[in-house]
Amino acid sequence: MTLLGVAAKNVLRNKFRTGLTIFGAAIAILAFVLLRTVLTAWNVQIDHAAKDRIGTRHKVTFIMSLPKRYIDTVRGVDGVKEATWASWFGGKDPNDPQNFFASLAVEPETFLKVYDEISVTPDVKERWKTTKQGAVVGDVLARRMGLKVGDKFTMQSAIYPGDYAFEIVGIYTATAKSVDRSQFLFQWDFLNDSLPEKRRDQIGWIVSRIDEPSRSADISAAIDKIFDEKDVQTVTMSERAMNLSFMAMLSAILTALEVVSAIILGIMMMILGNTIAMSVRERTNEYGVLRAVGFLPKHVAMFILGEGLTIGVLAAILGLAISYPVVEKGMGRWLEENMGGMFPYFQIEVQTAVLAAFLSILLAVVASLVPAYRASKLPVTQALRRVG
Amino acid sequence: MSTESSTPYRKEGPNAIVELRRVSKVFARDKEEVRVLDNLDLDIAEGAFEALMGPSGSGKSTLLNLIAGLDRPSSGTARVAGHDLGSMSDGQLAKFRSSTIGFIFQAYNLMPVLTALENVELPLLLTKLNGAERKKRSQTALRIVGLEERMGHYPRQLSGGQEQRVAIARAIVNDPQIIVADEPTGDLDRKSADEILTLMEKLNKEFKKTILMVTHDPQAAERATLTRKLDKGALR
Repeated sequence: MTLLGVAAKNVLRNKFRTGLTIFGAAIAILAFVLLRTVLTAWNVQIDHAAKDRIGTRHKVTFIMSLPKRYIDTVRGVDGVKEATWASWFGGKDPNDPQNFFASLAVEPETFLKVYDEISVTPDVKERWKTTKQGAVVGDVLARRMGLKVGDKFTMQSAIYPGDYAFEIVGIYTATAKSVDRSQFLFQWDFLNDSLPEKRRDQIGWIVSRIDEPSRSADISAAIDKIFDEKDVQTVTMSERAMNLSFMAMLSAILTALEVVSAIILGIMMMILGNTIAMSVRERTNEYGVLRAVGFLPKHVAMFILGEGLTIGVLAAILGLAISYPVVEKGMGRWLEENMGGMFPYFQIEVQTAVLAAFLSILLAVVASLVPAYRASKLPVTQALRRVG
Repeated sequence: MSTESSTPYRKEGPNAIVELRRVSKVFARDKEEVRVLDNLDLDIAEGAFEALMGPSGSGKSTLLNLIAGLDRPSSGTARVAGHDLGSMSDGQLAKFRSSTIGFIFQAYNLMPVLTALENVELPLLLTKLNGAERKKRSQTALRIVGLEERMGHYPRQLSGGQEQRVAIARAIVNDPQIIVADEPTGDLDRKSADEILTLMEKLNKEFKKTILMVTHDPQAAERATLTRKLDKGALR
């Protein structure tokens, strides 16, 4: 038997109250982990942006297209190793129009070179290139929609009229966290050929791989300079800058999430502080007995801090035990499948789990400080007289 | 557990282990001073079993607290087992209590989450004894009070009399010279009270413990070798 052991046993004295407190704190941990994971998942695209990739779009907005001939010009710019293009298709499953997923018309050969973190087997790559109506889908989207290789799938687009029938020729996976694994990718040629003459040879944006990441700004400037005098001007920036500019629009939401995280921790500390203060008050007489038999004020304080520590540890264990299935298997899977563009990788980071456990323990101990101080300072004779 | 006290004892009176000289205790209540003990002189001989009686508010518990080192006199000197309690720091008083005094309370005051054995072991956590030695001494103390069969029981599994016996085992586990008991039979039926008093007599006679017992119960007081009466802060 040790002092800490006695403190730990004391925690279980009122099992119902302690259980509720630990459960309440665990829910706070869950909320904290969830919000932190939203923040880290949001930042994943910035953190994992390829340093050697730059994007070129219409100077006014993403929505406006570029002439396809621009791709040849970009490929000729000094420092550009490879360039590809994509067009937003805005496809929808006519049987389930609410089911959102990103659908892009791309050029398979160069697209897979520029986005080499998108992984397909050589077999699939070959079949995709040779099948005009062929499409590859991310494994997350395939699982969600029950798509498999060989399936025929018809989509409609809000941008391009008519029905577009595809054949699923492959499922892609990813070697990087930042890849949206719920995209529907198909041959740009198929889309282009289906359009009336005047709408043909237009592309959404260009993505280039450059030879030297440190020259990203120079190469971007060089590309834009070429098109400055043309009828359609461009804006080019690094992938990270593109992601950051997108994040900047959401900075108020991110700040709000940070504030809510802090509020949750504050509430958790008050719950813990209240419970510990109540239980200390109920046991003042016992602390008086301990002091009477020779324990010092510091021992009484240690008992109470030990109880706080035990509650904090149990809350951290339970909170994380709840968080993993709820955040990763529940919300995480749903977000990855339905909002893969924003949350391609919604998993609890180890740092988040460690931070949550550390804060749970720290806040429980901090919440115990005042009750511990007050109990340790109470004169023995007063403590012995106190009942409840 | 030894039957002889090994603590050095500086005798000032004839075998007196407790010597109070002109001891007063004054409490401040609502800006008013309340004199609970008034210029009190008291000698308690080593090995005595004394009962302290008196009406409520007469100062019995305050006197017991002073002798036990839970409180300090406002004036006068309190010398217990050779220690001048008035001049000792809080830490020194705590050490004095742990080595010299055993406490028995009316409401037993056992920790409900600990077994009988663990409750008895509690004061030994302050010593340098290892776990095995602490357990052995606690078992010995429980054997003395006749509860060797109930060591693993929690307080809720024991009767009131048994709980008080565990409390007594806790009081003697450190082999103190003095046992102070504040209404030790106050919460017990007659039969259990008699058993506790018999046990206290045994501790006094066989183990040479000096016992000071506060009680309202004349039958309990009769078991003591001497009964003192306190009224309005003075011994009568």
